[in-house]
Amino acid sequence: MADTVNNAVEPRLDRRGFLKGCTMAAAALGLSEAMIPKMVEAAASAERPRVIWLHFQECTGCTESLLRSSHPDLARLLLDIISLDYHETVMAAAGHQAEQNLHETVDKHPFLLVVEGAIPTKDNGIYCKIAGKTAMDILKTVAPKATAIIAIGTCATFGGVQAAAPNPTGAVGVQDLVSGKPIVNIPGCPPNPVSFLGTVLHYLTFKKLPALDKLNRPLFAYGRRIHDHCERRAHFDEGRFVENFGDQGHKLGYCLYKVGCKGPETFSNCPAVRFNDVDVWPVSVGHGCVGCTEPNFWDTMTPFYERLPNVKIPATGIIDSADRVGKTVLGVTAAAVGIHAVVGIGKRLIKGKSEE
Amino acid sequence: MATYTKHHCWSLLLRLFHWMFALSIVFLVVTGFYINDPWTNTMIEGSAAWPMANMRYIHYLAAYVFSAAVAIRLFLYIFGNAQERILDILPVTGRNINNLFMTLMQYSYISDKHDERLGHNILAGLAYLFTFIAAIVMIISGFYMLFPEAPFWEGWGLALFGSQQFARYLHHILMWWFMIFAVIHIYLCVWNDVKEPEGLISSIFTGVKFKHKA
Ligand code: HEM
Ligand code: HEM
Ligand code: SF4
Ligand code: SF4
Repeated sequence: MADTVNNAVEPRLDRRGFLKGCTMAAAALGLSEAMIPKMVEAAASAERPRVIWLHFQECTGCTESLLRSSHPDLARLLLDIISLDYHETVMAAAGHQAEQNLHETVDKHPFLLVVEGAIPTKDNGIYCKIAGKTAMDILKTVAPKATAIIAIGTCATFGGVQAAAPNPTGAVGVQDLVSGKPIVNIPGCPPNPVSFLGTVLHYLTFKKLPALDKLNRPLFAYGRRIHDHCERRAHFDEGRFVENFGDQGHKLGYCLYKVGCKGPETFSNCPAVRFNDVDVWPVSVGHGCVGCTEPNFWDTMTPFYERLPNVKIPATGIIDSADRVGKTVLGVTAAAVGIHAVVGIGKRLIKGKSEE
Repeated sequence: MATYTKHHCWSLLLRLFHWMFALSIVFLVVTGFYINDPWTNTMIEGSAAWPMANMRYIHYLAAYVFSAAVAIRLFLYIFGNAQERILDILPVTGRNINNLFMTLMQYSYISDKHDERLGHNILAGLAYLFTFIAAIVMIISGFYMLFPEAPFWEGWGLALFGSQQFARYLHHILMWWFMIFAVIHIYLCVWNDVKEPEGLISSIFTGVKFKHKA
């Protein structure tokens, strides 16, 4: 059962690591220091919530970044505070036994559902099947019984790369299929493990889900634009930009706006929480944000090194930047105005001035 | 020798709208281009010139003037004088449909006949209405980018555009409409002023047009 699964993966965490993990999550949640003991207590003593983790159309990157990040503390803390009853990547059980664990939890216990990966809906969802059942069917049976659902990663939240145009399998996120259940979206490609852990710890400590924005993302992690708390922001306001990767501005750490940084339109805590215990995030190492926490980011944030998406004119095959299309249309307009004026003058020369 | 009478056509409020709108757009387009692709790039540190911050500041000041102008026009579409109300420019009455047709004929040099009326011709009126709607989209997408965390703008922005990036994209593309409109608009004002001695251009300053004495 669940405990066996836990112990097989990681031995239990020592107290120091446990406190460290709780403190990181508390900091991410913006809680005061005074809250940490309460959180530790809740994490240590509460009955461990059962969690079912479903994988659909995905690359397992979210799981990998959670478990194999250089935060062994976080991964172990997580496995300590929850009872992971079903998780295809890390569970010890296999085959019928695994299926049985799943059904047992779904039928007999309250549980939290975590979904990783998009759900294909085209052709009755046949593009993703597990144990002979489509992802759609599995979600349809499991979701209604869950206490709450956490969609982890941009695929499970907004469809991700599978849903990028032309979306051949009709992939969608969990919130497009499930209604009537509290859903928390933790988008990102992959999301920061701290954002996920913070959500779970918030749930354990306060017995409720954290406050969400209108896209169901927890405000503690997605409440602010990257651009509004980026360390290069002063360069932006002062007009100091990187023109090309590798130029002098780049070496001096100027703003990456002109090489396509999507920080101004992306909500996430990356500049504050950072990644992998070494305190980096893309902009700190000289690459713009690609906007991975936003809906349809594969369609609207590309080209990654341009500020805005290209304009596609249907049925002509024309794909160009908005400004080049705009200039062309404006030019044609000016030419048309010129022709109109010339025709008018010509007509007047031929027919003479009309009576007034 | 034709004789003309003076007709009061545009209220002071409409003329105020026009120039608030036109002038704010000039500033919005220039600063908008700068925001998209800041053409000054400096390596000077510590100068405290803040070109981007200032351009954005001017953009927002102009944006408030622009929004106020749009609010005035909305008011006038409902409560303005006979020429300013929305029904005067919609092709819903026989007279208006006929005007639309005659305007198209005249603009394409097929006919020389000018349908005399005090307010806008219907073709112009429809172009203005479309521009008015585009202006509302500019305002919603603009304020959504400016105050993304305010529930009101967040709600409307997400419902209409889906994401900040898409709002920005649309905001940028629609900018081109205002430039294209301005070219055609100013040309046709001059064209009409040449064709018809009603004092069209001065009417947007004085509010007065001249019509043939009946
Ligand atoms: C006709 C009117 C307007 C035009 C032509 C215009 C044009 C533009 C353009 C071209 C951009 C740059 C977008 C990009 O390519 O990145 C922009 C950005 C922006 N505009 Fe406007 N705009 C107009 C009205 C408004 C209004 C009414 C608001 C309301 C507050 C507004 C607020 C903004 C904001 C917040 C940005 C983003 C600036 C940033 O994040 O750095 N705009 N505008
Ligand atoms: C030198 C520049 C301009 C002149 C001389 C001018 C002149 C005029 C005139 C004479 C009218 C009334 C036309 C009619 O009866 O149909 C008018 C209306 C209008 N103009 Fe302009 N205009 C100028 C620039 C602009 C610009 C740059 C814009 C916006 C991009 C603009 C937007 C409008 C609009 C929206 C109306 C309709 C007013 C209404 O809603 O009733 N104008 N303008
Ligand atoms: S690097 Fe990106 S997020 Fe940072 S200030 Fe520049 S545009 Fe904004
Ligand atoms: S910096 Fe941008 S692209 Fe990178 S993880 Fe954060 S939100 Fe995603």
